[in-house]
Amino acid sequence: MSQVNRIKGGLIDRSQTFSFQFNGTQMQGYAGDTLASALLANGQTLVGRSFKYHRPRGIFTAGSEEPNALVQLRSGAHQEPNTRATVAELFDGLTATSQNHRGSLKHDLMAITDLMSPFLSAGFYYKTFMWPKAFWEKLYEPAIRMSAGLGRLSMQEDPDSYDKGYLHCDLLVIGAGPAGIMAALTAGRSGARVILADEDFTPGGRLNGETLEIGDMSGQAWAAQAMAELASMDNVRLMSRTTVYGAYDHGTYGALERCTDHLASANGKPRQILWRIYSKRAVLTAGATERPIAFGNNDRPGIMLAGAVRTYVNRYGVTPGTRVAVFTNNDDGYRTAADLAAKGVTVAAVIDTRNQAPAQDIPGMRHIRGAGVVDTKGRHQLKSITLTDGQMIDCDALAVSGGWNPNVHLTCHQRGRPTWRDDLNAFVPGDTLPTGMAVAGAANGALTLASAMAEGRDAALAQLADLGLKASPIDLPRAEDEARDGAAVWHIPQSKKRAWLDLQNDVTVKDIKQSHQEGFRSVEHMKRYTTLGMATDQGKTANIPALAIMAECTGRTIPETGTTIFRPPYTPVPIGALGGRARGQEFRPTRLTPSHEWASANGATFVEVGNWMRAQWFARPGEKGWRDSVDREVLATRGSVGICDVTTLGKIDVQGRDAAAFLNKIYANGFAKLAVGRVRYGIMLREDGICYDDGTTARMGENHFVMTTTTANAVLVFRRMEFARQCLFPDMDVHLISTTDAWAQFAVAGPNARKLLEKIVDADSQDMSNEGFPFMACGEVTVCGGTPARLFRISFSGELAYEIAVPARYGNSMMGALMEAGREFGATPYGTEALGVMRIEKGHAAGNELDGRITAHNLGMGRMVSKAKDCIGNTLSQRPEMNRDDAVKLVGFRPVDRAIPLIAGAHLINKGDAVNMANDQGWLSSVAYSPSLGHSIALGFIKSGDTRMGEIVRAVSPVHDKEMEVEIVSAHFIDPEGSRLRV
Amino acid sequence: MSDFILTSEPPLAGFDRRFGDTVLKAPKDLAIVSIALPLGDETKAEKAIKTAFDIALPAMGTSDVTSDKSTTLMRLANDQAFVLFACPTPDAERQIAAKLKGAAYTTDQTDAWCALELSGPLARPALERICMVDLHPDSFAINAIARTVMEHMGAIVARTDADTYLLLSASSSAKSFAHAVELSLENVS
Amino acid sequence: MIINHPLLGPRDAAEFIYLGDAALIDRPDWQAEDAAEQFHAYGYLRDNVAGPMQELWYHEQGDRSWLVVTRDTLTHEITNVELARDVARNRGRSV
Repeated sequence: MSQVNRIKGGLIDRSQTFSFQFNGTQMQGYAGDTLASALLANGQTLVGRSFKYHRPRGIFTAGSEEPNALVQLRSGAHQEPNTRATVAELFDGLTATSQNHRGSLKHDLMAITDLMSPFLSAGFYYKTFMWPKAFWEKLYEPAIRMSAGLGRLSMQEDPDSYDKGYLHCDLLVIGAGPAGIMAALTAGRSGARVILADEDFTPGGRLNGETLEIGDMSGQAWAAQAMAELASMDNVRLMSRTTVYGAYDHGTYGALERCTDHLASANGKPRQILWRIYSKRAVLTAGATERPIAFGNNDRPGIMLAGAVRTYVNRYGVTPGTRVAVFTNNDDGYRTAADLAAKGVTVAAVIDTRNQAPAQDIPGMRHIRGAGVVDTKGRHQLKSITLTDGQMIDCDALAVSGGWNPNVHLTCHQRGRPTWRDDLNAFVPGDTLPTGMAVAGAANGALTLASAMAEGRDAALAQLADLGLKASPIDLPRAEDEARDGAAVWHIPQSKKRAWLDLQNDVTVKDIKQSHQEGFRSVEHMKRYTTLGMATDQGKTANIPALAIMAECTGRTIPETGTTIFRPPYTPVPIGALGGRARGQEFRPTRLTPSHEWASANGATFVEVGNWMRAQWFARPGEKGWRDSVDREVLATRGSVGICDVTTLGKIDVQGRDAAAFLNKIYANGFAKLAVGRVRYGIMLREDGICYDDGTTARMGENHFVMTTTTANAVLVFRRMEFARQCLFPDMDVHLISTTDAWAQFAVAGPNARKLLEKIVDADSQDMSNEGFPFMACGEVTVCGGTPARLFRISFSGELAYEIAVPARYGNSMMGALMEAGREFGATPYGTEALGVMRIEKGHAAGNELDGRITAHNLGMGRMVSKAKDCIGNTLSQRPEMNRDDAVKLVGFRPVDRAIPLIAGAHLINKGDAVNMANDQGWLSSVAYSPSLGHSIALGFIKSGDTRMGEIVRAVSPVHDKEMEVEIVSAHFIDPEGSRLRV
Repeated sequence: MSDFILTSEPPLAGFDRRFGDTVLKAPKDLAIVSIALPLGDETKAEKAIKTAFDIALPAMGTSDVTSDKSTTLMRLANDQAFVLFACPTPDAERQIAAKLKGAAYTTDQTDAWCALELSGPLARPALERICMVDLHPDSFAINAIARTVMEHMGAIVARTDADTYLLLSASSSAKSFAHAVELSLENVS
Repeated sequence: MIINHPLLGPRDAAEFIYLGDAALIDRPDWQAEDAAEQFHAYGYLRDNVAGPMQELWYHEQGDRSWLVVTRDTLTHEITNVELARDVARNRGRSV
């Protein structure tokens, strides 16, 4: 194909020819083209099929408001559906395909749906697919999905990368048209920190598409010169290809920068960046969007907005046809005719709905006044139009101008409601704007060039003054105030054929009327019933005309009828950009234990615990499954000695004169009298009396405690303690700092634990004998010849056990040293599974038990909650309902048939009772195979459990469709007297 | 003498990468000790700090360096500051506690953090991708510090020179943190 | 959202954790005669404010201070930010 529609002029670079493919056809364009302008240049007027009726559609606009020209861009995994051809920059090698047709674009087999349109009007789905219900998912949905729709996903992982970033400025200017450039120049020259963001790749806004002059130069040249000046300022950041898509609280804006979309390859750099812009003030200069007039068959390829025609002619050197007619209700439409004529394109006629003299004299122009277009012909390309008086005019393109709507979108993102201006027949920004925002130029209803530039400058001045920054008004260059008068004509009622309002969703004037007849009186209801204003363009060209039709139906004015609320984003933001880097391995940070490297080298399988990677077990050659490894680790620990990295437990350093008094408030049990050099188990309650967390706290000095929390609650407990410190007990001298990552901590457990540690702990630093360092002792020691360490004699496993902590940098080495020292005892590293098995065997509660419903009374620790002091949760824990004798109690369970594995989560039912919630007696919370006992065991809660030892009940799991008999036993399966701990 | 020798292996030991003229590397032997000011005895503690380091406790959000450049004080909270200095041995907290003579509470934080020094023309553009704090020289002067969050990781950023920043983050996620900064540098270089 | 921290200046709300009504500072006296009722109200009863509200925010990714932020729940306008410790003392809390 050749560039049949290319004409002279434009901002394109004719020295750089780009080859591209559309539906497999090779075409050529120039640097500076969009895909849309290049397609038009090549005479490709038909570019897609409509969403619902598969109507042939062409390019309708020249900007981000495009409802029709959606294509799939690129191929393979890079394929992106629903890309607007009007904003896709052309590059050499670009490939694009059209969407939503079966067979070729020209001969779409689904075009038959258009013939069925009488049955497919507004609310069709709601009315038709009601019954039978069985067809909903199996028949209706797949059928609709196949026939209606937009582009297709590649179904492959997105190969591109995305980034995010944060920017700060005094003044954010949104849109680099004449008003925006004036605002940026004003602020830039004052020295303020300015960001000027523009969605286009060539700043200038409408100046690029018009023949307007500023001063003694063309508008385009003025814009280029101003941008060069701004680029030379250190205090100004220019961001082209950047859409400010949302206005958020307190001057924060979201912006999407398209970094590599205009390149054949991203070269490993982020394709797009999602910026969060913190602005002290902002000026919205987003311009205005032209709206169409609805008339019969107004959706044919070749029918285009009049301003867009000017953009193609002036900016891209492309004409949409060889004989172009103009249909307008306002003065601005005449500019299109004038610009076309100036480029030598035949203007077939200018049809004005107003019965008045032409707004502009164009030599040789055929002017038809007081008329409208009622119908058009030409299936794949416009051939002719028919007017209200019946005459037909041959033309292959029609430029339609229905007036301009200020782009108020961002002013509405925080509930702002636009207000109606009769003189413009349009909504302008209302009184309530987002904090710190001012609006200027066409976005504010200043639709003429001179007024827009003045507003841009003045808005910036006012914003800077508001910030207390000095700025002087810059000179306003000479510019014209173009004729802008227009009539409130929204559709041509004489049209017999379907008149389209929303081209993206195939919604017609009749659909709006019908939805009104059926009772959908609110704009929001109409929108949802007809789907008008949805999808990628969010009704940028359709909303106001539809509102006008609704107003007509109800006999109200447009402002009385209302407007729908605009929400972010202004234009679509890819999910990939919202995700940024956070995918795959980078979805969240990974925390490694100090002995991670040792564990990796020694067969560990890791499990994610929050952000932590913890060794779950250490497989040895010959072991057939995880149970083999875990059973061995448990037996080796109980038989001799095992070592486990327990660094992940939260550690909080608590210091201060009131540290002991503070811990007395935090823990339900007393800590004030804990002796220096001793450790105590503590339980924390929520203020409502429910157990929150537990752990051990060691008193290292009179005013110094080291607290441990569970791994999961480390951050939360710290937060609660800071709350208590600052908000509840503000005059206590107590200071908190996390030392979780500072110390590598290892549990050394088993009958040979002391013997092992005697080889590690420097003999002169600590007497390791049972008397010298008894159960629940703690102290500062040195290890391996002088390295400072902390030693705690505490046990989670129920064995003689210690936890030893060294500065984290020695952790990996320490694991090796412990293993080496333990070699003569067959020391075994164990993971979280063995840790879990041993704590269940010992009857220790953990996260499964402290599930947010359980009290100390339920755990059998009711007496630990001191009544002699105030502590968080104390008062409400005493509520009678929480202290019933028949409350559930933590006990152990074993299967009557020892060969059966128990099921965690199973509910407990008394023998003979029906299985229902009324008969629910409790549940199994933690289940493990006990290698020490040779059968499955469980911890769980059952009503009055402490008085029901030996009773047989049923453990029922309806989800597994299983039940078994279990015996209630002590939760302490191993060493109930605790004698192993104290030897 | 013990039969076992422990070797020090900080998570980013030896980390050193260059992106043109910009360098990202882990400082060696950086010790960190936190100081907490006792409630009601803040003046006494501040005097002790002045005596120990010959500089005053810096204001919130700032740091200060001793005249011999050996030690940095960072004010992180109303009642909390960090002391940073080079110390290869695991006794940093004892050294600081001895200097302060009981006038403030001290906690060793050396192993709780990993540190990276980022220096060069790409430093600020790279941090723009992960740091929500305004690092513009007008807002973030030399010696300014901020405790904030980067890529879901708590972090401290300190401006130590015109184009040089010291970054601190949790040592357990040191590799994730280093990767985040590295990736930012790759993305802007 | 931006919270103007009284010690650190404006910071992104992403650095903070939200807790809720600043009435949580007013923890009742455990030895009061009607302590159970007071604690019940303290724990469970909240005003659902449409308008300016005093709330607790925690600068977790910052200086770890708890703040009392006066925020209009309808507009998100923040009119006052104080250190919760100062507020607590002013409300008579001590040790």
